[in-house]
Amino acid sequence: MTGQTRIKAQSSSALLDQLTHVWRAGELGGAPAQTIGTGYTALSRVLPSGGWPCGAMTEILQSQPGRHEWGLLVPALGALQAASATGLIVLVGAPYCPFGPALGARQLDMQRLLSINPNPCEQARHDSPAMLWATREALQCADVCAVLAWLPEARSAHLRRLQIAAQTHNKLLFVFRPLQAQHDSSPAPLRLCIAGVPQAASSAAYSLQIDVFKRRGPLLSAPVLIDTRPPRLAALLAASRERIHQHEPERQSALFDMSEILRKSLHALDRTASLQH
Amino acid sequence: MRWIALQAFSIEPAVSGAVPCACCDAAQRAICAIALGFTPRVALCGNAVVIEVSGSLRLFGGLHELAALLEAHVHAFFKQNSLSAQIIHAQAATSLIALGRLHLLRSHRVPPARVADMPMHTLTATHPHLAVLERTGCRTWGDLLALPRDGVARRFGAPLLAALDQARGTMPEAYRWCVLPDQFEQKIELDALITHAPGLMAGVNALLMQLHAWLLGRQSGLCALKVIWHLDKRRDVPPTGELTVRTAQPAQSLKHVERLITERLNQENLRAPVHSITLVSLETVSLRNAANSTASLLVEARQTGMSQTQFIERLNARLGPGSVLVWQPRANHRPEGMQHWVDATRIADQRATKSIAASPSIHSAKSIKDIKKDFKAIYTDALYPTWLLPQPLKLASRAGAPMYQGPLVKLAGPQRLEAAGWLMAEQNDIHPALRDYFIYSSSQGTLLWIYSERLVMGASLQAEQVKQAQQVQQAQQSIQRDWYLQGVFA
Repeated sequence: MTGQTRIKAQSSSALLDQLTHVWRAGELGGAPAQTIGTGYTALSRVLPSGGWPCGAMTEILQSQPGRHEWGLLVPALGALQAASATGLIVLVGAPYCPFGPALGARQLDMQRLLSINPNPCEQARHDSPAMLWATREALQCADVCAVLAWLPEARSAHLRRLQIAAQTHNKLLFVFRPLQAQHDSSPAPLRLCIAGVPQAASSAAYSLQIDVFKRRGPLLSAPVLIDTRPPRLAALLAASRERIHQHEPERQSALFDMSEILRKSLHALDRTASLQH
Repeated sequence: MRWIALQAFSIEPAVSGAVPCACCDAAQRAICAIALGFTPRVALCGNAVVIEVSGSLRLFGGLHELAALLEAHVHAFFKQNSLSAQIIHAQAATSLIALGRLHLLRSHRVPPARVADMPMHTLTATHPHLAVLERTGCRTWGDLLALPRDGVARRFGAPLLAALDQARGTMPEAYRWCVLPDQFEQKIELDALITHAPGLMAGVNALLMQLHAWLLGRQSGLCALKVIWHLDKRRDVPPTGELTVRTAQPAQSLKHVERLITERLNQENLRAPVHSITLVSLETVSLRNAANSTASLLVEARQTGMSQTQFIERLNARLGPGSVLVWQPRANHRPEGMQHWVDATRIADQRATKSIAASPSIHSAKSIKDIKKDFKAIYTDALYPTWLLPQPLKLASRAGAPMYQGPLVKLAGPQRLEAAGWLMAEQNDIHPALRDYFIYSSSQGTLLWIYSERLVMGASLQAEQVKQAQQVQQAQQSIQRDWYLQGVFA
């Protein structure tokens, strides 16, 4: 009996494997959806279909806007622009000015970048309805290939509309929100939480820590670490770290002396304590 | 001579028989205007439009081609303005025969092969005498022609005889041809007084439909138009308000213009109730071959969304000028001067022409690639931050080190920047800069681009003063330095 059931189970699993539209919750979703490569193998490995989903919203949460966006997205956006002749990238409500010389060095065509700032005069106050409207309009434009929107005040219902617009027009949409939004429901099929790795640590081979907390697949066991810095910057930082290390022995010896003194003093303290008893 | 008679009907299922549609007058006038794109000889005759096409047959490739094209244009027009109507047309050697055939087609009857067999009621001039003719046994045009001319003239009057001669082609037909004015200007009175601006759209839409037909007839595209609303005169306010809308590319289909007007009207505040609206075309550009190109379904299918210029215009209409920015490089050594974000509408035209130039030939594409290569060689550097703060943010400092959301760790630097001296003499608004740039890491792991001002001074300082100030500064450097955050490596 048990043998028969096992055979049955095996055959059914084999059958299920053949069906492309069946996705098991325990596996990564290999949906036939169109994706754009992230440019980072460690990250692509944990994303369904191995890249940013086209025609869907990707939600990226971080503690503060304007911290790690470009490093994460620039490889994908550059590839997207290189693929199409007229593809525009639209930024809605960007926290600061994108700096052309640096982004140009990372293969982004700055001439095909539009920045929409609903309130040019008052930078501080975000006009949420206008930004949502502008995001939707951008998704409807035929010449736009990707939209990056900073929507700190958006609610789930608003995001659902954006998700539908992205789906119908098959556009790449990234929405940046604060960390507090992690526990709210969201229609985005892919949600990430990103944070920087403190650079003072001795092992500074990675600069960004990504936690994919919602995806078509099982929960991620550990956050993914990637290095988003351009090679020249990484080399500069490594070189200056090297220089600091060369001065380190002197400092270490100084520290050693200090610890010696401390130990003695502790010993002395102990002694005084025992005297009091 | 070849004549085409055209008429549009509503296809409401409730209306039995063929009754001209409610918006009949406007629809027939629109058909008139569209037909004027094919031939200058177009006239309104009752509820139908008659067109003399013998001069245009060769250009449009024959009568059937011309009739099909005309009908396609009218259909496309009705579809774009979301009017449901049935369009029928008939052609003949004279306009009266064409009208007679149209009359029969309208009542779902097949016109007879011989003109003499046409029923009497299809000739409009016989309508006052139909009963008498019926009783005398005259049921077709042939019967009437068989009667002696003198007797017909005495009994029914000369006009009937003249109409009969015109139908036979022995007498020339005289019509007052329709003429399209050089400038479109139409005024309509609204059904009710309107107090809030978005309510004006219904009236504007009716006018836009006429404008669309006018554009089709003149074979031109619209660049600018003005909407004027007339306010109630009993209020103590200026009598009219107006709104000018411009588009970068000449448009024949007015969907985009309609959206722009909607956005602009939403921001408008009416100071008194409005009783009528006028629409005036300000600028038009003639489009070549507009009449000969069919509005095929394939073209419609290709454009799935707005184009880039339409998108930018739409955002500008709602969010105000200066809300959509594009990047422009600048030749300057200071980071804040290296780039410039400018209003997208200003350079949208340039870019459109550039993209057109780039598409067809390999040669021009190559030149643009060269430009791009040069641009990269000059302007890009991976060591710059990807975000730049619009204004450098002054940071607090503790023990000579900057603080930003907690203590910072210095990773690299200094990188010295000196942009001062005679190069800057012409630009008075920009002060010289002597800065040391550092890369700091915050406790959250963000790389920050921070500079310390080595010298704070006005542009007018003399060189000696500069030196003195520098010495003083160096002396003070260990004590106090101004720290600024200018960029983020994101």
